[in-house]
Amino acid sequence: MTKLGKLAAIAMAIGLGVPALADDPLNIGFIVPNPVGEVGWDHELDRGRQVMEAHFGDKINVTAVDSVGEGPDATRVMNRMVAQGADVLFLGSFGHMNDGIELAKRKPDLAVIHAGGYLNEANFATYAPKHYEVSYLCGMAAGYATQNGQLGVIAAFPLPEVLGIMNAYVLGAQSVNPDLKGVKVVWLNSWFDPARNRAAAESLVAQGSDVLFSLFPGTPSAVAAAEEMGVYVTTTLSDNTQFAPNKHLCAGQTNFGAIYIDQINRVMEGSFEGTDTFAGLAEGAVEVAGLSADLTDDQRAAILAKQDDIRNGTFRPFAGPISDNTGAEVVASGASLDIGGIKGMNFLAAGIDTTLPN
Amino acid sequence: MDTLVFVLAGAFATATPLLLAALGELVVEKSGVINLSIEGMMALAAVIAFMITYTSGSHILGFAGGALAAMALSVVFAGLVLIFSTNQVASGLAVGILGLGLSALLGRSFESYTLAAPGKLDLPLLGDIPVLGPILFQQDVIVYLTLIAGAGLIWFIGKSRGGLILRVIGEDPHIAHNLGFGVLRVRFLAILFGGFMAGLAGAYAATVLTPVWSQGMIVGRGWIALALVVFGTWRVLRVMIGAYLFGALLLADLAVQSLNIGIPSQIMTSMPYAMTIIVLAVVSRDALKIKLNAPVALGENYRPAH
Repeated sequence: MTKLGKLAAIAMAIGLGVPALADDPLNIGFIVPNPVGEVGWDHELDRGRQVMEAHFGDKINVTAVDSVGEGPDATRVMNRMVAQGADVLFLGSFGHMNDGIELAKRKPDLAVIHAGGYLNEANFATYAPKHYEVSYLCGMAAGYATQNGQLGVIAAFPLPEVLGIMNAYVLGAQSVNPDLKGVKVVWLNSWFDPARNRAAAESLVAQGSDVLFSLFPGTPSAVAAAEEMGVYVTTTLSDNTQFAPNKHLCAGQTNFGAIYIDQINRVMEGSFEGTDTFAGLAEGAVEVAGLSADLTDDQRAAILAKQDDIRNGTFRPFAGPISDNTGAEVVASGASLDIGGIKGMNFLAAGIDTTLPN
Repeated sequence: MDTLVFVLAGAFATATPLLLAALGELVVEKSGVINLSIEGMMALAAVIAFMITYTSGSHILGFAGGALAAMALSVVFAGLVLIFSTNQVASGLAVGILGLGLSALLGRSFESYTLAAPGKLDLPLLGDIPVLGPILFQQDVIVYLTLIAGAGLIWFIGKSRGGLILRVIGEDPHIAHNLGFGVLRVRFLAILFGGFMAGLAGAYAATVLTPVWSQGMIVGRGWIALALVVFGTWRVLRVMIGAYLFGALLLADLAVQSLNIGIPSQIMTSMPYAMTIIVLAVVSRDALKIKLNAPVALGENYRPAH
């Protein structure tokens, strides 16, 4: 975040804030950490906001500010929004957590809805989409599309959520392709570095991968690189077809709007609670998107059928038996990982060739 | 073998923005001025070059625009330190923040736009040599121009009269002034050259190396260029080797990870920083020689008394 961007954001917050009056529409402050862009985290947050505004119309009054990363400026923007009468605050960055919780404790009437955190208060709710459900489906697409059985994954950090998405992807690929080689993984150890992201894609392709998975990349540069090199690519968060019109294989599209509408309904009914929402296909918070035209009709039908099975609960991506890549059984046959196990994922599924730090 | 070629060949392109910016800063520092605004100059040049290339389709215009934008920022810096004798460190940081801010502001409507990367040259015959061909003879034209610029600077600083004047001014501006050299004029030209090179570096990063616009895409490359100058002890050849080494290790990190030989990725990711410092420190362990190369008057402002 840059000084000038922050200043602009604060100026916007001041300019657009409208003081609340009784019987006014519900006032909502909406903070996005980075510029909105055309794909990715911030874009999806903002798209969710638009869906929410379209749904509620003039029953809500939203003040949205982007490019407010964590730090003192985020605190100032939050406080300003609340001082100007915001009833609900959406915080879009993990780094907004501590300041948001402090604010929530000070203002018991305020409803705070925070993306990606792990702490809750009575009026401080969190939410996360079940990315793993759709990454299983994109894994199936990858299993179908690979010619040489060599998949490559570019991932940000080895966090439980990322491991869950990667494991589901590989399990999905293995479910349709018995001839997969060990999946190669490059950890970027960064949320944002377009040049490294691109180099990681080139590195995996140089070592034989013919389908790439760009997992929380923060930039579309690996997707654009895949298109140039002529290898298929799947992504998280957004449909990236515009960056790889020929080689976009599958995307785990996020629809935050479904979560926001549900939460705002609760606020309006007075039933809002500071709980965690973990929403997936069943809630409409994720769906498979941007499936390549190169997949056969049968393959596409199989993926969409599996999507229906996950949606109505007849199939669970983390149903046993699952072994980790040291050979130990982590989910027994007949069992299935519960939410705690999924959110605290600490193993790599068999068939993934990478090393986790201890 | 493919992995090795990938690392050794890719290192040239990865090193190029670092090297361009570092060569510019080296000349600035040889004149006794430290300009800490490289990151900001690169960021501003990157967004200008990206916008121009995106709208005009011409990479050459993009590079020209990026270079001009960074030079404009360097003129602001030069005005502060040469005319108003402000603190060089503080002025550089301030101008750098200005550059980053302008970059973020200008790039807002271009966020996550992409460009077609210009192709690499494939020199006939030479490019077909196994292993060496792809490493040495299939690079883009800027890579070669950067290496030529490095060679030119080795000659300029070491052998030419202009280089001697530059060094004298960086050693002792008072003596240089008494010898009749225009200290402020030479320092201004050096700062302008630093801006020009940082501009090319930013343009290369945004339109050739990673042709996608994202705010903050320079991610610290400017600071690494600055560090390369210091750890390369103000010697052009060492800075060039350091930049190449850094680029190669950056790619080796990614390549070794996907081979999965059991080294935790965090260690690999820190390798470029650690190894570049260690190697350059070992190469330049002679403290006396460092003293000989370091511009004595670095960071000191000079006002001719007339």
